[in-house]
Amino acid sequence: MSSRIKVLALLVALMFVALSTRLWFLQVLATTQFQQEARDNSVRFVYTEPLRGLMYDDRGRPLVENQESLEVRVNRDAMGSQAEAVVYRLAHLLNVPVRELVARLQDKRYYSFQPIPVAEFVQPHVRDYIAEYQELFPGVEVVPTSVRAYPQGRTAAHILGYLGPIFAGEYDRLKDKGYQQSDVIGRSGLEQVYERFLRGTQGVQKFIVNSDGETIRALGVKDPTAGNDLHLTLDLRIQRAAERELADELARARSGHDINGLPLKANAGAVIVMDAQTGAIKAMASLPSYDPRWLVQGLTKSQASYLYKSDAAPSLNRAIQLGYVPGSTFKPITALAALKEGFATLGGYYPCDATYTHPGDTSGTVFHNWTTANLGTMSLAKAISISCDTVFDRFGSDFYFRYVQNQLSDNGLLLQNDLRGFGFGAPTGVDLPSEGSGLVPDPAWAKTQPTLFPDGWVPGGDILTMIGSTYVMATPLQLAQAYSAIANGGHLCRPHVVDQVVAPDGGVVKQAEDHCSRTLPYTPSELAYVRGALGSVITSGTAQCSFSGFPTSQVWVGGKTGTAERPPHQDTSWFAAMAGENPNAPKYVVIAMVEQGGFGAEAAAPIARHVIEDIYHLPNNHQGGCAVGDR
Amino acid sequence: MDMVAGRVWADERRPIRHVDWFLLLLAGALVVVGLFLLYSATASTLRGESLDPFVRVKKQAITAILGLVIVLVITTFDYRFFKVYAGFIYLATLAALVLVKVPGIGATDTTGTAQRWFAVAGFQITPSEVAKLSVIVMLAAVLSELRSPEPTLSDLIKVLAVAAVPLVLVFLQPDIGTSIALAAIVVGMLVVAGTRLKHLLMLTAAGLILIFLTFQLGVIKDFQRERLTAFLDRTNAPQDARYNLDQSLIAVGSGGLTGVGYLKGTQTNLDYVPEQHTDFIFTVAGEEFGFLGAMFVLLLYALILWRAIRIATLSKDPFGTLVAAGIASMFAIQMFVNVGMVIGIMPITGIPLPFLSYGGSSILVSFTAIGMLESIHMRRFS
Repeated sequence: MSSRIKVLALLVALMFVALSTRLWFLQVLATTQFQQEARDNSVRFVYTEPLRGLMYDDRGRPLVENQESLEVRVNRDAMGSQAEAVVYRLAHLLNVPVRELVARLQDKRYYSFQPIPVAEFVQPHVRDYIAEYQELFPGVEVVPTSVRAYPQGRTAAHILGYLGPIFAGEYDRLKDKGYQQSDVIGRSGLEQVYERFLRGTQGVQKFIVNSDGETIRALGVKDPTAGNDLHLTLDLRIQRAAERELADELARARSGHDINGLPLKANAGAVIVMDAQTGAIKAMASLPSYDPRWLVQGLTKSQASYLYKSDAAPSLNRAIQLGYVPGSTFKPITALAALKEGFATLGGYYPCDATYTHPGDTSGTVFHNWTTANLGTMSLAKAISISCDTVFDRFGSDFYFRYVQNQLSDNGLLLQNDLRGFGFGAPTGVDLPSEGSGLVPDPAWAKTQPTLFPDGWVPGGDILTMIGSTYVMATPLQLAQAYSAIANGGHLCRPHVVDQVVAPDGGVVKQAEDHCSRTLPYTPSELAYVRGALGSVITSGTAQCSFSGFPTSQVWVGGKTGTAERPPHQDTSWFAAMAGENPNAPKYVVIAMVEQGGFGAEAAAPIARHVIEDIYHLPNNHQGGCAVGDR
Repeated sequence: MDMVAGRVWADERRPIRHVDWFLLLLAGALVVVGLFLLYSATASTLRGESLDPFVRVKKQAITAILGLVIVLVITTFDYRFFKVYAGFIYLATLAALVLVKVPGIGATDTTGTAQRWFAVAGFQITPSEVAKLSVIVMLAAVLSELRSPEPTLSDLIKVLAVAAVPLVLVFLQPDIGTSIALAAIVVGMLVVAGTRLKHLLMLTAAGLILIFLTFQLGVIKDFQRERLTAFLDRTNAPQDARYNLDQSLIAVGSGGLTGVGYLKGTQTNLDYVPEQHTDFIFTVAGEEFGFLGAMFVLLLYALILWRAIRIATLSKDPFGTLVAAGIASMFAIQMFVNVGMVIGIMPITGIPLPFLSYGGSSILVSFTAIGMLESIHMRRFS
């Protein structure tokens, strides 16, 4: 019998082996996971949303504020068996179609136990009614929430940006940063770029709860911290002026005609006013535009389709997000490149023929000036002033020859390197989202465009770039940055919109650092020479008509017209200007661009002129109508 | 006759001199550990209801003292009396198992799903708990009287018939946990009684077919089936069936190597583990004392089982051996099924952990079993 007892003992021993192994797995190998689950079990969090930071202009005038909205939220789980009746009652009370309410409640981004916001800005009587008849509205609550307010209306809409809901796919990434599915997040403009400063920190109350969900004790309370405020470099007065002048001029330009006699479309445009000495943006306007208040109230169908689907693309900030062919506004920059490389000299004279052919080119490619007249030889300054293309075409050939000689070294791309040095071909790094890069055409790029460049890089690549034509593209902001460098003595300043980020207690969280640390390789005399040439554009050059009667003795202005061909569309009208009381260090750079606006002198130059007049409190006394000038 | 020598001989053979103190000590240690675990499992809830946080600990302690008295009483009896009265005990148990189902006599539990006990003077007397010992005694009596050293097939059928009646009655209560314990006791005793391997295999096959049929024929109710199978597929089990197991695993798993500390377990103190003071008492040890604490408890059981099996080998007659083996089987299967259920390797059945789970009948039956073991141990020479 004792041998059989050993069998029993063996069976018992096997039981202990099984239990010990399993315990080892649970308590030693897998314990981390279970410890987390135990914590999740017993701790509940109640969050309090922080107040979002505000935005002010450079003098503390409010641009973005907060306002209280009564928001209706529905918890689907809590509606219980009455769900259908509750939805009908609520739709009636809120005066929205049942179908629409049902659609909002079917939002897949939310779990069934999470309250879904279904209406904002409801009247206080709605809140009172729901509170009084809560038994008719199980799962429905009306809570005060904070939403954005825009005391200046549509002003600076593109810069300020707007808030939007969190997408389902984003939430996994954001929840670790303390976001709730029902939160909003910066979706464009400064709201997007400065999200982490503006948002603030959620308040949280931690409770230990038991298995019935009853609170056993509070673990601690952390009050919400309001977000930081943004103090912008924008000057509300100049911003308004820029927007007003751009809108007025677009309307006026539409009464004009292009060179084929068709009415100008002048459908869109942008204006930038930048402090040339610091890179601070004082105004940035882009049309067409939109009203940020639409997004606070909830977009109607027509607003949504206008904003996101129409050809007008009003949500685009054309001042920074799109590259345009810059036309002759490029010449002061390429002139500096030609001076630096020795192709042009300050004392030299260059022929301004009606046409130009690359030396040795037998293909029959002919580059035309904007006029069929032979204008004789002229200085570089004069070539800028009257915007002679053929003078610059010649420098393009010089750059091409240099490229051919030095193909294998960096020196082979002198023109492209010089343009990149000025900030073209790459985002400026402005603190706004989705900035465009523009394009500096070079042999590598040409290889990717076999239909345009079947034989690779050809002289025309450098020649056309020299006059800012055809392939080269720049955003208005890149042009503003480059002109600022000419104005301030050769320092490339990173454009910026926010000067300071300030905490609710007044402490400065972030201060715009020195943005002008990059110095360009141009001598003061070269830069002064080009500024002088730009001055003569106003007094005796292509913008003479546009600036007739302007008190240049009070405020010095230099500028350059640009008329960029953009087939099959009408020409892009450009004017790049600098202005200030000191001609040797003009304070402001003003860039105006009108899509399908005709000649630079026609649509863009009057905008720049009027903005400068507004900045310096000068009377607006010019009515435009200068449909003359360069191509 | 040498009176002096006779007295010496008599003294040497006096059973009290051969008490297995270590076994008693182990049982006592488990009860004390159980009281600490019970306090942790119940104090915060009782305090929340403005009740004496010690009320359950006190009741359990009193039951344990009563259990020691029972040990004392039973050790004074020669265990062979049980063999004499085995038939009577067996029939009385069957009567109790029938009576408990009679409306008005047996008490129904709060959920109303099972009717398992008599309410007597504030105590719950659960006949199915007693049935385990009755079956042990009855089977030992039958098996020890067999003529051949190995039970023949007809012996086997006789034994199984004896065991089957109470097993079916318990199963119909329904009390699946005790049914499993009874089945394991039968198997354990048959093994020790020398049943041939061939017969054991046949028995196993028959058992599996029976289990299959109970599932197929709907004898097992849906709520039981869900609980029984939840451990096999934790993620797809219905929420309610999964909840017990999930919370139990979280409690044990979160204990880690050394535990979160006595009275510091959140699973335990915040009431996340259902039935924690009864069937899930082991989770307290797991959460608050960790792997080392859980292994210590298992070690105490291992030592008790070692003593029980040792007593089975030391017994002077086959009846004692079979009773001790049956008791060892009973403790082993309850320990294994209960702890296995808590840590997710056995189905969830209502089966108490001997000496640790809160509940009068379980404690008293466990001490009765200890008393019987002691009685066998003490009289191994006489």
